Amino acid sequence: MSWELVAGLETHVELSTKTKIFCSCTTEFGGEPNTHCCPVCVGLPGTLPKLNEKVVEYAVKAGLATNCSIRNISKMDRKNYVYPDLPKAYQISQYDKPLCEGGYVELNSGKKININRIHIEEDAGKLVHQRGDIYIDYNRGGVPLIEIVTEPDFRSMDEVVEYVEKLRLIMKYTGVSDVKMQEGSLRCDVNISVRKQGEKKYGTRTEIKNMNSINFIAKAMEYEFRRQIDVLESGGEIEQETRRYDSGLNITESMRGKEDADDYRYFREPDLVTISISDEQIDRCKKSLPELPQQRLKRFVEVLGLPVDDAELLIKYQKVADYFEEASAGVESPKTVSNYILSQIFRRFSTESEKEEFNISIPPEYLSVLVILAEKKKITSQVARNTLEKMLDEGKTALSFISEEDMQGVDEDDLRRLCQEAVDANEKAAAEYLAGKEKAIGAIIGFIMKYSKGKADAALAAQIVKEIITKEI
Amino acid sequence: MVGKDDILKIAKLAKLSVDESKIDELTKDMGEIIEFANTINTAVTNVESEDFDEINNIVNAFHQDEIAESYDRELILKNREGGLDGYFFVKRRSEK
Ligand SMILES: [Zn+2]
Repeated sequence: MSWELVAGLETHVELSTKTKIFCSCTTEFGGEPNTHCCPVCVGLPGTLPKLNEKVVEYAVKAGLATNCSIRNISKMDRKNYVYPDLPKAYQISQYDKPLCEGGYVELNSGKKININRIHIEEDAGKLVHQRGDIYIDYNRGGVPLIEIVTEPDFRSMDEVVEYVEKLRLIMKYTGVSDVKMQEGSLRCDVNISVRKQGEKKYGTRTEIKNMNSINFIAKAMEYEFRRQIDVLESGGEIEQETRRYDSGLNITESMRGKEDADDYRYFREPDLVTISISDEQIDRCKKSLPELPQQRLKRFVEVLGLPVDDAELLIKYQKVADYFEEASAGVESPKTVSNYILSQIFRRFSTESEKEEFNISIPPEYLSVLVILAEKKKITSQVARNTLEKMLDEGKTALSFISEEDMQGVDEDDLRRLCQEAVDANEKAAAEYLAGKEKAIGAIIGFIMKYSKGKADAALAAQIVKEIITKEI
Repeated sequence: MVGKDDILKIAKLAKLSVDESKIDELTKDMGEIIEFANTINTAVTNVESEDFDEINNIVNAFHQDEIAESYDRELILKNREGGLDGYFFVKRRSEK
């Protein structure tokens, strides 16, 4: 019997405004506890919140970038619950008039993950639990969030991972968030249920709360998927409940059940006035959006001729993609530029954040010149590779390392002669190659490279050597 | 109508303990409050259109995204007996 996964996602994204959503305290991450606070964000009686205009702008941008429609008239609501991370015992959020509704994010397969809504709200403080005592830091309290809620459209873990990665990039490209997952600026709650393949009705779902890494989301879902199947196959029933993922043990465990189901008694926030956004303002926001990652991916593939996987690796890091585009200007085959970046250059950037920063010693024009020299056969690919290493080490142009001699390369007649010599000198390797041992040809190419001092075009040499060997039979 | 069960539920959600002897009185009070809210609702029905509850005709009171200095931590924590190590502090509840 095969089971199908059904999942929906609620993603909280911290906006990259300088100030909090209802006061002018800084949103900077970290800081000594309770030093980014004022009477508004610690919820003292008698204070009045005032909405940050930038929060509305960013939320609208996020909505437009995910194909949502934007409400002209919107408002804030109180979501009531008692927990020490909320000093007012309510969170100011949006209930029935969210800023954005009805969008989607398209996956590479063409499948659309539908977005039900995006609303704005304030983040809660941070609790440190120690032997049952609670230490509270309200620096994060009042930091602006958007919550992006999808329909239950996911049918596999891979779709979830791809969606989160795409969403992360959209938020980054539009500049609404710096989406540093390790700092918790993107966190996900996953609703998950299972049903038998072909079944129309949804099963009972559980919700796994607050995961801040794509890796954890995938692992938690994997575990929860299997757990639900096990329960059902052994004749049990799924209980509707909220669960927590323990990354140390790689399990999900129950936090609270249905009897404590959320009852937030939402009502209009009387301290804040109506939000009104004109069509002109929405249009202006739309025009200010940059090229989005998915559009860029398509252009890299369709216009610049990159394989999808390569294009995806480039657009994942905005600065790398920018660099690639600049280095590709004037080059015949952008794919060669992309190859240099993804292999030789990436080797020097080991961590994700290093790739994100992309502090490279040479400007894109330098790489461009090198690729053009190789394309015009002025230098061989071997020389180009060696030169690039030196350029990266010293931050200099290609021409500071390439000698007259290098530029001449080996012309094809000379190369043919050299190949013949190489085959004659390596009879054993040639025989092995003929017997089906493909790798044996390496010894012959090695010989050629050695005698041409690395100037021969290795790919061409291999082609000629193969011709010679097969002709000799 | 507000009933006894509503009062108990609201008390539970708000984490308040309610004395058995006070329930009838609270039920009556809450009923009057809801009744008052209903009266207000009838008065504002005519603005229940797309531009809902612009009662004061004010929209978009925003603050600009410019950082102002936050308060001294001592002042922030003063309301909670100075806190502990810079944090607000909630002591573990003793076992019942
Ligand atoms: Zn504040």
